[in-house]
Amino acid sequence: MAGRGPHGRTERRSSGELESEVLATLWSTERPLTPAEIQLEIGGDLAYNTVHTILKRLYDKGLVLREVDGRRGAYRPAKNAAELTAQAMHEALDRGPDPIAALQQFVTGLSPEEERALRELLTGGPV
Amino acid sequence: MTIDVYIPLALSLLLAAISPAVGRRVAPALAARALTAAAVVTAAATVWSLVLLTVTLVDDTPPVVAEARADGRSLVVPVPEAIGVVACLALAAVAHRLWRAVRAEHGTRRALRRLSEGHPRDTELIVAASPVPQAFAIPGSPGRILVTAGMLGALRPVERRVLLAHERAHLTHRHALLVTAATLAAAANPLLSPVRATVVFLVERWADERAAAAVGDRATTARALARAALTAGRAKPSCALHFTDRAVTRRVAALQSAPPPHLRSVAVAVLALGALPALGAADATGDLLRLLSHVLPH
Repeated sequence: MAGRGPHGRTERRSSGELESEVLATLWSTERPLTPAEIQLEIGGDLAYNTVHTILKRLYDKGLVLREVDGRRGAYRPAKNAAELTAQAMHEALDRGPDPIAALQQFVTGLSPEEERALRELLTGGPV
Repeated sequence: MTIDVYIPLALSLLLAAISPAVGRRVAPALAARALTAAAVVTAAATVWSLVLLTVTLVDDTPPVVAEARADGRSLVVPVPEAIGVVACLALAAVAHRLWRAVRAEHGTRRALRRLSEGHPRDTELIVAASPVPQAFAIPGSPGRILVTAGMLGALRPVERRVLLAHERAHLTHRHALLVTAATLAAAANPLLSPVRATVVFLVERWADERAAAAVGDRATTARALARAALTAGRAKPSCALHFTDRAVTRRVAALQSAPPPHLRSVAVAVLALGALPALGAADATGDLLRLLSHVLPH
């Protein structure tokens, strides 16, 4: 794949991918984040200006909001569409194993011994 | 003809038997493609064989028998009538299973379309404001990635990148199409169900490998999987015992060892195995046509 560096290096991210990452970062926490905090979270070679541009684009799409009374310059995710999606997802899940079970879910369930093994992996390895 | 028509059945069993081993040893992208192609061709050949066996019933129909008697020809009976009847029933069952599979597929697509409603078309990530940890790809054009706030909050920044890269790989490499093809093959020929299960597992492995390449670290990818699985397991412990296929642990283990090689020879062997039933079916078709040209009035 283009942009893939030698071993241990990461692939270069497209602007669409960066947009997803910034949005995911804002959703991962309850508190609003400033561009500098987002830059720190995402890490890598991401420039401050790039974060700013992406936030502007997300703002224009109505996906993020500027914090008005709290910290100046901080952003938080817009909830409306996300709440509708959550509702639709839960309805689909409640209807039974289909159709969401038919999807390629990132992970499925675990047995107790698998859970133990995975927990060991997380606590044992360097993070 | 008598042997040819049964070849697809025997080879389906063989394909099903070797698919887990192929899945373990060959690079997932190659193995998934080869197994799916072989399964689809084998399923088509199986269905065609059933059609051929059903058609043999034609020489038992009264007009044909009467005409043959009048001409003083003796009828060749390639297969016992009972087998023709069984084939006819099996064909009906196959049609029913395929119809059900297509309907289920359709229902899934419809439910997925609802999930992307209200989100701008040019945005890849769709977040669901739900504490339930969940993540999946929504195929289509453009494809989307749905992740819940619960899942995003449980992962570390680099692990969120792994998750996004994994789901993105499903979309870029059209994994939904491969899985649908394998599902329809298994619906048409239940003997191929293990092949479908292997393909379902392999597209996850394939996406894991792509994600590992994107973040440049297999160990991080393994940890992201482990954390996502533990988070999901905590959220719905009642589900834990239903999945005993050990899929996540097998994926984590695979990421902790070297990536499997691109054994093209194995892939070619799998494809050849898939082509054999088609050859058998083609040969049987020729036999049946010759037979019918004798039997049927000109």
